[in-house]
Amino acid sequence: MSTARSLVTIILAVALLSACSQVRPWERGYLARKEMAWNTDALESALNDHIFFSKEAASGGDNTAGGGCGCN
Amino acid sequence: MKPKPSRSLIALSTSALALPGISLADAPPTQSTASYKISNYQEDDLSRKEAPFGDLDRYNIDVHQFKLISPVGRNFSVNIDANYETLTGASPWFTSVGLDGNPDVNLSGASGIRDKRTEVSIGARYYLENGSIGSSIGHSEEDDYRASYVGFNGERHFNNDLTTVSLAFSHSADDIFPTDAELFGRVISESKYSSSAVISVSQIINQFSTIRTAFSSTEQRGFLSDPYKLIDFRPDNKTQLAWSNSYRRFFVNRNAALHLNYRYYHDDFGISSHTIDTSWFQNLGRNYQLVPSIRYYSQSAADFFTNIDDFLKPLNEYQSSDYRLAAFGAISGGLSLVADFGNWTATLTAERYVASDKYAAYKVNQPSTALVKYNRISLGFDYSF
Amino acid sequence: MPLTLRRLSFQAMGSPCEIQIYEESRISAKKITQILSSEVSRLERKYSRFIPKSFLSEINYSAGNSMGIKIDKETRALFNHALSCFEQSNGYFDVTAGVLNNIWNFQKEIIPTESQISELLPSIGFNKLQWRGSRLYMPANMTIDFGGIVKEYAADAVARLARKIDVQYGLVNLGGDFAIIGPQPDNQPWPIGVADPKNRKTLIAKIDALEGGVASSGDYERYFAHLGKRYSHILNPKTGWPSAGLRAVSVAANLCTVAGSIATTAMIKEEPEGIKWLEDSGLSYVAMNQREEIICNGWQEPSATAE
Repeated sequence: MSTARSLVTIILAVALLSACSQVRPWERGYLARKEMAWNTDALESALNDHIFFSKEAASGGDNTAGGGCGCN
Repeated sequence: MKPKPSRSLIALSTSALALPGISLADAPPTQSTASYKISNYQEDDLSRKEAPFGDLDRYNIDVHQFKLISPVGRNFSVNIDANYETLTGASPWFTSVGLDGNPDVNLSGASGIRDKRTEVSIGARYYLENGSIGSSIGHSEEDDYRASYVGFNGERHFNNDLTTVSLAFSHSADDIFPTDAELFGRVISESKYSSSAVISVSQIINQFSTIRTAFSSTEQRGFLSDPYKLIDFRPDNKTQLAWSNSYRRFFVNRNAALHLNYRYYHDDFGISSHTIDTSWFQNLGRNYQLVPSIRYYSQSAADFFTNIDDFLKPLNEYQSSDYRLAAFGAISGGLSLVADFGNWTATLTAERYVASDKYAAYKVNQPSTALVKYNRISLGFDYSF
Repeated sequence: MPLTLRRLSFQAMGSPCEIQIYEESRISAKKITQILSSEVSRLERKYSRFIPKSFLSEINYSAGNSMGIKIDKETRALFNHALSCFEQSNGYFDVTAGVLNNIWNFQKEIIPTESQISELLPSIGFNKLQWRGSRLYMPANMTIDFGGIVKEYAADAVARLARKIDVQYGLVNLGGDFAIIGPQPDNQPWPIGVADPKNRKTLIAKIDALEGGVASSGDYERYFAHLGKRYSHILNPKTGWPSAGLRAVSVAANLCTVAGSIATTAMIKEEPEGIKWLEDSGLSYVAMNQREEIICNGWQEPSATAE
């Protein structure tokens, strides 16, 4: 399946990147900023996930589904 | 000019960097944070042209979200989440062919739907030397729907915390018991189960950027049809796969951060989709932040989607006119203003979402007339203590 | 409002401390410095030898207890760093030598007898610590002293916390151990000077630092002279006697914790080895030897007087 193939490629790419990248912890100030988080506002993303889950067919990706609701 | 760092210096730096106050690895929160958000979600009314009979109003939902996260001891944190929604409006009941030969939507019951949903979940997280593990349990309750779920997840940092791998599993058991089941000949009670697993890998690229790729798989079994539709018959098994990629970059000169996300999705109802969204977090001085964001979504139709309910089709053949199974595209845009005053943060968000077959990236053989447009406005507060 | 340098001075870990940040608003600067100084007090309450209820005191009470004591993640990481100090210094920098503080009293200027010292040497030695999972088992009489590690770690932790709450320009100074939060506005370095121990108004060396930390170790604060011999409070864990090494060392490194570990080790080693250790580290340092000569690498000659 092409999806699985691309996944392998991207994981390989990540491994290669990690081999050459050497960002020391005291150089990670910008990365530690709140607006650089994967998820900056827990309630906002929970609400959006919930709305899109009930209005669109797609779900999942980077989080597991919680409980369902009668909305879908 | 600079001499190469000695072996001793490397050894001492490595052990110093593992100190929790210095490393960026997960650490238990040192403060408690309570958050509350109130949102109003309002769908645009259908025009009389699209729904010649029945109600024109669609959903209007008020959502109250509450979250409390607190450290317990030195290595633990616990969190409680609660969610309360009140809903008024109507959702499509069945479609019929209108006088002009185009599908019409008939909205259910004159009184409309009036429902509320309450969800509570609790979770705990334990912080280890090189990562953390957590679990959560939750319950959601509506007049006609009940869901209980458990989840486990763990993450581990490698490679001087440059790489993080995380795994998550969850399982949900849902019960559906439609209202007025006997009156309308609906199913009395049905169940569905879903299990999902996610693996994700994130990597620090340089001082300013990180990427993450994640793969999720969800298996649903049981009653997956819509009990309120006159005709709606779907397979009782569904496998969903999603692959998502995220990128974050900080721009020092502009004092802003860029978020970029892309997701590909496929399931065995025959639906594929692309989602791409981006946000720009612009800091305005120390206390304010303005965040415009835009999102594009498009999906293909399920194999058994029909935009006109076929009352003559054999009952054992799959069919559904649920607009969520149609091919369509959706564009949404939002703007948030964040005000940060030390212990307090306030966030105001406005969002507009428009779904249309015109925006579809996939071929639309049968356009659905029930696609939604909505406005959402939220006001949230966080308080740390 | 323009960015203004704002300072908070306080007393912690037995030393005068100061946090300097550039902030527009005085009120938010006050809040920020309060958050930061509370991190210093948290670490002081946890790791002070002088607070009977500190976690370090609990650890020390557990010496000889067959039940051991459960160690949390942060303390475990401190022990791991202490192990690396022990290994890299060939056993000179040893946090398990705290028991020597009981017999060497630098206030009362009492010199212990040779037999008092040799009695205590068996309760010293990092390799005598036993670990089972997260439980630590210490031999009887052993005393842990995180001097040379905890104050430096606190400076780094405060700087890291400051960056996390969006402070861009600032400097943390915990009794002469410095950690840089971020450079001064317009990417200007922070000038950090080493004062002459004999005359606090004169600088003996100066370094301009954009990032990282600077730590110092010296015997000027606590020593005594007896019968013409100078007794430093820096004790050699192998002999139990004060080390006859360098008088004072300041080191600049990527982290204050690393600078502190290098400087403390240099002080405990005898003089020529101490200088060799500093040279081998590849870091910028300034040291004063027994003859009060200044040995300097990477630091500038002073051009100004201290404030």
